[in-house]
Amino acid sequence: MRSAVSTVRSRVAVLAAVTALGLGLSACAADADAGTADPTPSASADASDAPRVVEHARGETEVPAHPQRVVVLEPVQLDTAVALGVEPVGAAVLNEALGVPAYLGDAAADVQTVGTVQEPNVQKIAALQPDLIIGTESRHSALYDQLSDVAPTVFMATQTDPWQDNVRFTATALGDESDAQKLLDAYDARCKKIADEFGTAGQTAQLIRPRDGILTLYGPTSFAGSTLECVGFTTPERDWENSISVDVSPENVLDAKADHVFVTTTDVTDESSVPEAVRANAAAFPQLHLVDQAWWITGVGPLGGQAVLDDIEKILSAAS
Amino acid sequence: MVGALAVLLGVVALSVLVGANPVPPGDVLDALLGRGTDTARFVVWDQRLPRTLAGLVVGGALGVAGALMQAFTRNPLADPGLLGVNAGAAFAVALGITFLGVTMPAGYMWLACLGALVVAVGVHVLGGAADLRASPARLVVTGVAVGAVLAGLTSGLTLTHPDTFDRMRGWAAGSLLERGPQVVLPVLPLIVLGLLVAALTARSLNAVALGPDVAQAQGVDVRRTRVLVLAAVTVLAGGATAIAGPVAFVGLMVPHVVRWTLGTDQRRVLAGSLLGGCVLVVASDVVGRVAVPPGEMPVGVVTAFVGAPVMIALARRRRATAL
Repeated sequence: MRSAVSTVRSRVAVLAAVTALGLGLSACAADADAGTADPTPSASADASDAPRVVEHARGETEVPAHPQRVVVLEPVQLDTAVALGVEPVGAAVLNEALGVPAYLGDAAADVQTVGTVQEPNVQKIAALQPDLIIGTESRHSALYDQLSDVAPTVFMATQTDPWQDNVRFTATALGDESDAQKLLDAYDARCKKIADEFGTAGQTAQLIRPRDGILTLYGPTSFAGSTLECVGFTTPERDWENSISVDVSPENVLDAKADHVFVTTTDVTDESSVPEAVRANAAAFPQLHLVDQAWWITGVGPLGGQAVLDDIEKILSAAS
Repeated sequence: MVGALAVLLGVVALSVLVGANPVPPGDVLDALLGRGTDTARFVVWDQRLPRTLAGLVVGGALGVAGALMQAFTRNPLADPGLLGVNAGAAFAVALGITFLGVTMPAGYMWLACLGALVVAVGVHVLGGAADLRASPARLVVTGVAVGAVLAGLTSGLTLTHPDTFDRMRGWAAGSLLERGPQVVLPVLPLIVLGLLVAALTARSLNAVALGPDVAQAQGVDVRRTRVLVLAAVTVLAGGATAIAGPVAFVGLMVPHVVRWTLGTDQRRVLAGSLLGGCVLVVASDVVGRVAVPPGEMPVGVVTAFVGAPVMIALARRRRATAL
């Protein structure tokens, strides 16, 4: 009997708690709505401070003219924001143990991690009280409504689109298209300078990412692959199957032959990170370079692009 | 048995002749004799022969470990993984990748051996393996429980460390890529020892199949048999996992197929499972090489593909397979 009573009591308590929580949540939502719906008088007075409407993968969303507390959920968005001088308050990262990529330097030192790119943590994002969230439809589509309740949220379509397009999208969301274009122009200009200086035209280059004994070859539409083409190299022809990369059996390692072959690793001083199949055919790979996957694979963006160009320039000057 | 040997030879020949790189059979023969093109020599000597050797060792070990487990527990659905050995190996590898920065199959091999050994000893102590009155079920329940805990820890570790997840993905599927002599040879003595111990216990297992009391009445030292079988299973399953990662279904499936065709004498079952395991793993590896060109499918994925339909056929048989 006593236990029955206490069960009923605890059920009532749970019900009360849930109701209170629900009320609290709806109050929060109401606040958020009020915040976005009523622009402050000063904002409407000055056109450049008026909220902008950004077109994105989920429709149109009104965002602050100059977002101050930005959360980004994709590496290219983090790189672009930092490059534009907007240090996000939070970023989803590929590896929570490593945190924000080190190549971004001090300009990203205060960025908090908010879960992984695959699984951003909405509670951590909400705790940062952002005024703009940028995500990716192909990855975070299920989170859109939750994120929209936290702050105005805009989604780029997919991370596999050409990276320059995703840089421009991120810049649009941040309200700084012109500076983004300057960054992309600087990248192109540096590519051309490297191409002229080292006479790369007519030479081939191939990027390999070894994975579990399989060799992943990166094609011309990938981030680093397009950078290799940008500096004048040609990627050896093959069927790229409309993808940024193709997995190849080690038996076909010679398909990766090129004048310059770049192999990604987490430690460029560790020669053993060159796959066995490549080492066994050393004669076929006279120009073999270990490069850091932190920017060659995952450092998509203007800053990562410059880091890749740094590596290429260093490697080519050492070779010539 | 002679037929099985012929099938094995055929599969090994296929494994040398077939792969992702369409080298003509003539060039393969030239390469075997040390002539021919560089490409053919690389494909045959650096790729196909090492992985064939690894497949034979892994398949044989898993087949025999499965047969021992099923005879010992007197349960046709027993599998070497029930002792928690595979889960222990996987957990050790996950720890090594996350905290020690191990990146090569040769490093995984030592970690997996160590993990399998520690867990095997732990399960044997917890499960009272030395206690004759304790039923094998107690040991198996302990093994399953410890295995479940370790599997949970492993997924916790991989889910919170995407890097580890990325590296574990290939290992956890079971693969023969980059499993050259430096990975296989250190484990080989262990596996040979396990096979010898298995051969020693075959006659006693025939008696144990009738129940421990009958076995004892026939003069079989049940406790000694039990300890020897468990040691052999640990070494065989742990060694195979150390080389290739966990390869599913081989230990479960092969002894069944062998009993359908060769009867229930444990000496024949063990010998047949040795050959059957070799055939299944090497054949699955050949299928995996040509399944998704220009890439490859890990052997563990292929054995699961083959294994599931066989399990269904098994379940639909009118009569459960006797032991």
